Amino acid sequence: MLWYKAWLETRWRFLIGMAVLILSVAGTVFAYPRVERMLPLVPSIDTSSLVGQRIKAIADLSRTYGGYIWAQWLRQNNVQMLSLFAALLGTGGLLSQVTGGGGLFTLSLPVSRDRLFGVRAATGLAELAVLAFVPSLLLPLLSPAVGQTFGLGAALAYGACAFIASAVLFSATCLLSTVFNDVWRPALIVCAVAAAIGIYEPFLGEISRYSLFGIMDGETYFRDGGLPWLGLLASMAVSAAMLVAASRNLARQDF
Amino acid sequence: MSDTFVIETSGLCKQYGAVEALRGLSLAVPAGSICGFLGRNGAGKTTTIKVLLGMARATSGTAHVFGVPAGSEAGGVDVRRRIGFVSDDKDLYDYMTVAETIRFTAAFFPRWRDDLEQRYRRSFDLPPERKVKALSRGTRTKLALLLALCRGADLLILDEPTSGLDPAMTEEVLQALVGHVANEEMTVFFSSHQIAEVDQIADRVAIIDRGRLVVSGSLDDVRERYCHVELVFDGEAPQVTFTAPGVERVRRQGRVLTVLSSAGADGIAAEARALNPVSVQTVPATLKEIFLETVVGEN
Repeated sequence: MLWYKAWLETRWRFLIGMAVLILSVAGTVFAYPRVERMLPLVPSIDTSSLVGQRIKAIADLSRTYGGYIWAQWLRQNNVQMLSLFAALLGTGGLLSQVTGGGGLFTLSLPVSRDRLFGVRAATGLAELAVLAFVPSLLLPLLSPAVGQTFGLGAALAYGACAFIASAVLFSATCLLSTVFNDVWRPALIVCAVAAAIGIYEPFLGEISRYSLFGIMDGETYFRDGGLPWLGLLASMAVSAAMLVAASRNLARQDF
Repeated sequence: MSDTFVIETSGLCKQYGAVEALRGLSLAVPAGSICGFLGRNGAGKTTTIKVLLGMARATSGTAHVFGVPAGSEAGGVDVRRRIGFVSDDKDLYDYMTVAETIRFTAAFFPRWRDDLEQRYRRSFDLPPERKVKALSRGTRTKLALLLALCRGADLLILDEPTSGLDPAMTEEVLQALVGHVANEEMTVFFSSHQIAEVDQIADRVAIIDRGRLVVSGSLDDVRERYCHVELVFDGEAPQVTFTAPGVERVRRQGRVLTVLSSAGADGIAAEARALNPVSVQTVPATLKEIFLETVVGEN
């Protein structure tokens, strides 16, 4: 029943995230024919500024369907939205419920705090996995509608990268949720950190592909065809460490 | 650790930063009793309950429930399986319906009483499909009580179960509680600052003030022990220090000297006769008077 409770608590965030991501991936796919028609205009873009250079780079990537999907969806929309929903799924839990309602009732149940936290975290991670994989898996399904193809293997690889990297943000929000007793501060702090990473990442040059968002958008897979194993393993280790820290923090708290 | 005590604390202290919520609380609640836990707001009632349920950890001292150290990770889960709990603000999940809340709670308690659930659903007139957030305070209290009573618990811990209820609803809740306890073998430990409530349903009382226990015992015993000895003098009442045991408080008001005793009246009456009063009268103290004298008087 704890799973059911965790689902009830997070279902709207999850369902809204699902709808937004599906609409976004579908919009990106169905916009491709229009983008294709606009590509001949690209040489006229002024590349003296950073913005111009970036538009040119995206336009160059968009000369192939795979490049377009990576640049428009995986690197931009998916990374931004998945980061936001990872933070939203991670926020809340026992500490905020003690002040907001239901927390003391939960604590009176014959369940250990570790289990309470574990079920909540596992539910959130499962929802995050669905948010990461389902839009990616829609790419092979929707692409034929615009006369293109997208490999299932690539969809799975991008989904895995997106899930494992976004789990870092989810875990960070879970950890902060055992520190702050409201649902907003943990989510806002993680979103602010993610925004800061997003702003400064372009200045990292080649190294950016090993940053959190570089792992999340699967840049290594896109450019070299291999998974960023080191980054993925590091992300998993960081996530696990933060979840364990969150569990320990919750176990020692007074309510 | 005695088997006859369901709840036993010794020198229990709890500090929240600079605030001392409990200051050496030693309390024992025998099995099968209905113990009213009286105290003013902020006296430490809720903190005591939280420590007993493992929601907060004691700074020092010990607390045992069913002989298991309160808050122990190992035994805590088993202990909570034997406890029915209603929190002060009737803390429930606002997003669940009444039926969902009952179904959810029942899943955690192997001894859940379906028969009682059906009975209380009917007698409390609970709307199964209504969300908890849409319930009135009274109905919410009834739902919280149903969830506590149907767990098949050996111990009920109720934190101000009737707070915020009108007198009619209070009576209904108390009657339900008394009716339940009459049919089930269990111990009830309920906090309150409503003296009449404790007087009505409890057979034991524990009065806490500023984190310390000031009165404890069976209600009959407390009533028997506590009395006022009123001495009326011809002129101004003299200023005296009594040496008899059990003198809790001495008040002088014009010609009248009133002594509150916690050890009967005989010793004080004998000592008082030497002062040549016009009259000596012993009046049994009500629970309200005992509370006011030991708690408010103290301050």
